[in-house]
Amino acid sequence: MSKLIRRVHMYLALFLTPWILMYTASTFVMNHRAAFRGSPPAGPEWRTLSESRYEGEFAAGAGEAAMAGQLLASLDLDGAHQARMRNGRLEINRLDPLRPVRITYTPESRSVKVEETVFNGAEFLERMHRRRGYQHEYVLEDTWAMTVDLVIVAILFWVASGLWMWWELKVTRGWGALFALAGMGLFGVFLAVL
Amino acid sequence: MKFPHLNRRTHLYLGMFLMPWFFMYGLSSIPFAHGAYFEALDKAKGLPLWEPRFEKTYELEIPEQGPLRPVGAKVLADHGLSGTHGTYRQGPNQVNIYIYSFWKSTQLKYFIAEKKLVAEDRRFRLDHFLTGMHAKGGFEQDGFFEKFWGVMVDVVCLGLLLWVMSGVYMWWSLPGLRQWGSVALAGGIATFLVFLLKL
Repeated sequence: MSKLIRRVHMYLALFLTPWILMYTASTFVMNHRAAFRGSPPAGPEWRTLSESRYEGEFAAGAGEAAMAGQLLASLDLDGAHQARMRNGRLEINRLDPLRPVRITYTPESRSVKVEETVFNGAEFLERMHRRRGYQHEYVLEDTWAMTVDLVIVAILFWVASGLWMWWELKVTRGWGALFALAGMGLFGVFLAVL
Repeated sequence: MKFPHLNRRTHLYLGMFLMPWFFMYGLSSIPFAHGAYFEALDKAKGLPLWEPRFEKTYELEIPEQGPLRPVGAKVLADHGLSGTHGTYRQGPNQVNIYIYSFWKSTQLKYFIAEKKLVAEDRRFRLDHFLTGMHAKGGFEQDGFFEKFWGVMVDVVCLGLLLWVMSGVYMWWSLPGLRQWGSVALAGGIATFLVFLLKL
């Protein structure tokens, strides 16, 4: 049992190393947002990729979601996105992790403007940190959401298995208990005052 | 004490000290990752999230431009309120001030044209309690403990980094586990890269 717990603790950590490093770096960036992104945080910088005319037809009564899906497919940009009508234009944000793309479709002129964000490390890390959930209809998105759930399970398992391994080592019980009490004490103070 | 020994002890004692934070970040990620489920769960209770505290006429000058934080601080001082707060423009005619603590939150809505101030208290919700703790960070707020919490968030980041490095060192020190460990590490890196490129 003890050996199994140790192995799962270690292999799980090795597999999830990229996620832990990403969450660590993004947490640090968010904790120092003013230093990395200014105060108030600057929005993304957009670069125009193309401007064209959409010649396709939308089905009668097509809503924002259907129009967005059709436009994205025509631009070979299908994937997780958010779409909304804004000032008579359909604005689609394609949630690409590295370079999010914004597509603006104007029904009157049938014009399509495609822009991408200029890469910014701090924005990228924040986006990755916040990416979660099963709200998008894409298998890969759901798979990412599952890895986020796996990270959660792993964190809780590391806490439990860490405690188990600590208790097994009689020689570290005293100091370990002291560190645990100090941590819990400090956390308790924060809970009381914040 | 030799380095491998020091490395193991650092890994362990750091874990013991930072356990409450690590546990909190793990647990609070559940309502973040499954927000819709928790919202539906709360909606089924049929209880309002905000409960009115007071409503009054109030004179307040709102600057057209520039930071709104001093405005929020003035409103709080005028009403004997304190704590972590943020002030933002909800619309052309409305400025909101949000006062937050782990246990309770208050929202002040100022309607500029009507010169009206409305205060509401938020009902305690366990999922909000957890996500609030998770999201708390930074050094913008005044107060010793506010900034100390920000320092602890940095300590947790440093702790995570040390866990990764000390963990990799411990794994590599066990030749019998190198092969399967490499598979796990390489598998993780490859999977992560696929997400980066294909999401």
